[in-house]
Amino acid sequence: MNVLRVSKLTITAFVLPCLLLYTCIVFIPIIVSLYSGLLDWNGIGESKFVGLQNFINLLTNDPVFWPSVRRTLMFAVFSMAEIPVALFVAILLNRFVKKPNFLVSSYFLPVILSVVIIGQLWKTIYNPASMGGMLNQLLDMVGLESLTRSWLTDPSVAMYSLYFVALWQYLGYHTLIQFTGIQNIPADIYEAARIDGAEGLKADWHITLPMNIPIIKISIVLAFIGSLQAFDMVMVMTGGGPAHATDVISTHMYNMSFLSMKYGYGSAIAAFLVVICLCATVIINFLFNRLERKYS
Amino acid sequence: MKWSYIFKFAITGTLALSLAACGGGNGNTPNNSQGTNEPGVEGTANTPEKPKDVTITFQNIFPDPTDPKHIMMKTIVANYEAENPHVKIELDSLNTDQQKLKLKTQAASKEVPDITVVNPSAQMKPFVDAGLFAPLNDMVEENGLKDTFQEGILDWYTFDGNLYALPDGNNIGLVYYNKELFEQGGVEVPTTFEEMVEVVKTLKAKGIQPMAIGEKDTWTGSFLFMNVLLRTNGGPGFLQDVMDGKRTFEDPAFLEAVDSLQSLIQAGAFQEGATSFDYNAGGNLFNTGKAAMYYMGSWATGSIETSSVNGKIGVFKFPTVNGKGDPNEFMLAPGSAFAISANSDHLEETKKFLNYFMLNFPQEAFKVKGAVGIAQKVEGDFEAAGYSDMAMDVLAMFKDVKGGDLAFDNTMNPGTTQVHLTSIQNLFVQKKDAADVAKEHQTAYESNK
Amino acid sequence: MNALTTRVAPGKPAAAEKSSRRFSIVRLLVYVLLGILFVTQLYPLLWLALYSLKNNEEILSGNFFALPASPQWQNFTDAIESGNYFRYLFNSFFVTSVTMVGVLLLASLASFAISRFRWRYGQVVLLIFLVGMMIPMQATLLPLMIIFKNMGILNTHLSIILPYIAFQTPISVFILSGFMKAIPHEIEESAVVDGAGIFRIFRSIILPISVPPMMTVCILTFINIWNEYIMAATFISSEKLKTLPFGVYSFVSQYSVNYGAIGAFLVLGALPVILIYFLLADKITKGMVAGAVKG
Repeated sequence: MNVLRVSKLTITAFVLPCLLLYTCIVFIPIIVSLYSGLLDWNGIGESKFVGLQNFINLLTNDPVFWPSVRRTLMFAVFSMAEIPVALFVAILLNRFVKKPNFLVSSYFLPVILSVVIIGQLWKTIYNPASMGGMLNQLLDMVGLESLTRSWLTDPSVAMYSLYFVALWQYLGYHTLIQFTGIQNIPADIYEAARIDGAEGLKADWHITLPMNIPIIKISIVLAFIGSLQAFDMVMVMTGGGPAHATDVISTHMYNMSFLSMKYGYGSAIAAFLVVICLCATVIINFLFNRLERKYS
Repeated sequence: MKWSYIFKFAITGTLALSLAACGGGNGNTPNNSQGTNEPGVEGTANTPEKPKDVTITFQNIFPDPTDPKHIMMKTIVANYEAENPHVKIELDSLNTDQQKLKLKTQAASKEVPDITVVNPSAQMKPFVDAGLFAPLNDMVEENGLKDTFQEGILDWYTFDGNLYALPDGNNIGLVYYNKELFEQGGVEVPTTFEEMVEVVKTLKAKGIQPMAIGEKDTWTGSFLFMNVLLRTNGGPGFLQDVMDGKRTFEDPAFLEAVDSLQSLIQAGAFQEGATSFDYNAGGNLFNTGKAAMYYMGSWATGSIETSSVNGKIGVFKFPTVNGKGDPNEFMLAPGSAFAISANSDHLEETKKFLNYFMLNFPQEAFKVKGAVGIAQKVEGDFEAAGYSDMAMDVLAMFKDVKGGDLAFDNTMNPGTTQVHLTSIQNLFVQKKDAADVAKEHQTAYESNK
Repeated sequence: MNALTTRVAPGKPAAAEKSSRRFSIVRLLVYVLLGILFVTQLYPLLWLALYSLKNNEEILSGNFFALPASPQWQNFTDAIESGNYFRYLFNSFFVTSVTMVGVLLLASLASFAISRFRWRYGQVVLLIFLVGMMIPMQATLLPLMIIFKNMGILNTHLSIILPYIAFQTPISVFILSGFMKAIPHEIEESAVVDGAGIFRIFRSIILPISVPPMMTVCILTFINIWNEYIMAATFISSEKLKTLPFGVYSFVSQYSVNYGAIGAFLVLGALPVILIYFLLADKITKGMVAGAVKG
């Protein structure tokens, strides 16, 4: 329970600047988007009010939409599945390395590189062997020719190839976040646990994991946001192709709003994103509140 | 990156000297055809009191400072600013994708920059319909600017008798081939599409990559497909017929085009993983001698000339398909064009500048060896100026143009176009039933009408 | 999470260190694993460095390990001179630092109110913030254009700083309020008894404790805006206001891409950041620890 009783004026002074800016720049445009979702509008000329028609088409009659939702959610699942790995790496770093900062920082570097360069790098890895693709050449060398393929254009694997790039890029990011969390767990707790006979992985299970839950929550939320907004990377690597095989919600929205010039329809997709986001926020908060209660 | 392609035909006069470009000696003097006054100089010199300072925002798609077009633009702008000290040209140079997005966003809030860049015909229509561009009918007459343009080219930018934009390019679709690789493969230049498929098979058997394409940028495959359709249809106008309700996508000509393109793809013409190659990566295969043929717009001439295969490259017209069509009908690619905002705060000054810019464009382009495929007539001895044999062949081909079609996205509405682009891209990944492809098109067309 | 206040400088738990000596095989495996990660995560930098010295043909031919045939220093000259490197770099630093300060200030004030004040609408306000957390920027471009046009701030740094701050506030409020909620209430109760005002509690108690999550916020903010291009390209038109990503994309034109110059520009863009980051890495962690101890 919050304790500070303050005047309305004080509350206003603390909250208003932030809330006002956020409302004007993020919240109102979202509302405008919701409204645009009710229009038949190319984004430039005259618009026509069509009620829920865009939403109905989107949900019942768009062959690209549901697969792209599925891919986006898969993206989120994979990103979140990466967090335990990042936590594990962070624990190892903390325990086995004398000066871990250098390594943590190194792992983190792919995140700050521009997507232009990441895309170019991974294309040279994924290309067919005949085009100098490293992965395929590697598979050839170790006698796994049967596995070689065009990783970005075979519709059955293209999306997984993209997931993997994201996992690679963001591993260091989550490791850094988990690492700062672990660094802040007091040593005397481990000391006490050792006296009780808990060491190594056992201590991690009983101390590091529960103590780090708030940090894990942050990572989860960030992973989810990153997945919903995955856009640049998909555009650079495959452009959503071949034939929509790698389209995600955000690229589909972009295609509709700005390439097909159906701004109203694109806005309906944005509205759908808001709903997913609301659900996800509620679910994540609910789960973690329970977890936190359990461990505190 | 797509945009431009297209254009009309008839470049009879391209090289043919209608415009007295004055040898291009002193870059500071604007030259124009009929020896009219130099507009910029005249303007300021005759005005007694100092004109008010204006800043003209010039949105453009020449961002690369190492690109000849960028240098050319900078030169003309600098000259104009020197002659008109009260005018400042603010260049907003963006890459093409970003410029499209920005312009659409700006258009929604009626905040179009003084000068911007649009694509011809169907692609610029929504902007014109929304009344965002100023008509240039009067401006294009001044200083004889209109006569510098190739015949018919301005039609693609004219709506209801009003001209709304001035193009910088005018290209045709053709096949580049590597003479050395053809020799190695023991093949001749194909005269029919069927021969072309055979050539592909022969080259493939000899371990030579037959063709290159950058199908991640979906317009590349579409451009090729449309050329096949131009043949199977026996001439131009298929899409127009569809829009006029005379035919549907389920027409035999369309089905035949799909099957023909598939026969090429299934023969193994294109590199593995073609749909992950963007335009540049695809073109680079050809430019580094790794592929024997390359179907592209004539704008590719410049990048081939500066690559390592320069000197080994020949060109041929896209051949007949199943005996149908005329090789002298081309895919036409009128280029991206400069339009002026109807709401510009200084409309007159902007018009004056654009007039000057376009008047100087041909000879500056000629100087930086960028005059192959521009929309205006150029006077000058291309051979003496150091243009390659291949460039000369391309220029010669322009003279044979007897008409043709525009690219899909310049003809159809954007909604249908996107479905079309994806549908064709899919052919590069898997074999499809032509009837399904046709149906996909027809459904999209009907729901986007 | 009351443990926050009792945290002491952690380093490596002494116990773990002692015991781990006994398991040298485990140790070896761990080092191998961390070493592999080091290579895979750092290789791109080396690759980028090589890339920046190649010409287009070498780059597009996609030979992964190949060295440049003859180093194209020209790429760097192009990037610095024609790419407007120094101006863009300055603008990027300016925009990024103003955004960071703005985000930290606004988000920490709001988070404090949400997590520590007793008022009815705290959770509602939090929820409003969370709604915007996952909205892609592209969805708001059009409405923002109209808003900024009416405010008359198009083509100023403000027109990108405002959305940058606004789009970072949801996640920042989420992180900071989550952290502040866990601070034990006894702290400010005793401060109130001592007669400290609300701003003083905020400034001298809450803020110092919150240094670690604020560092996280800073890093997130930085990552999200340093390479941001879509919004910047839409709202900024003047050459003198443009940021680093413009330099990168300026080498992408209609029918050609100057990959080598892009590589060179990215090297130049990443260099100052990496330098600063490695110089400060120890300080950042120490700052976090110090914050915890003070609490």
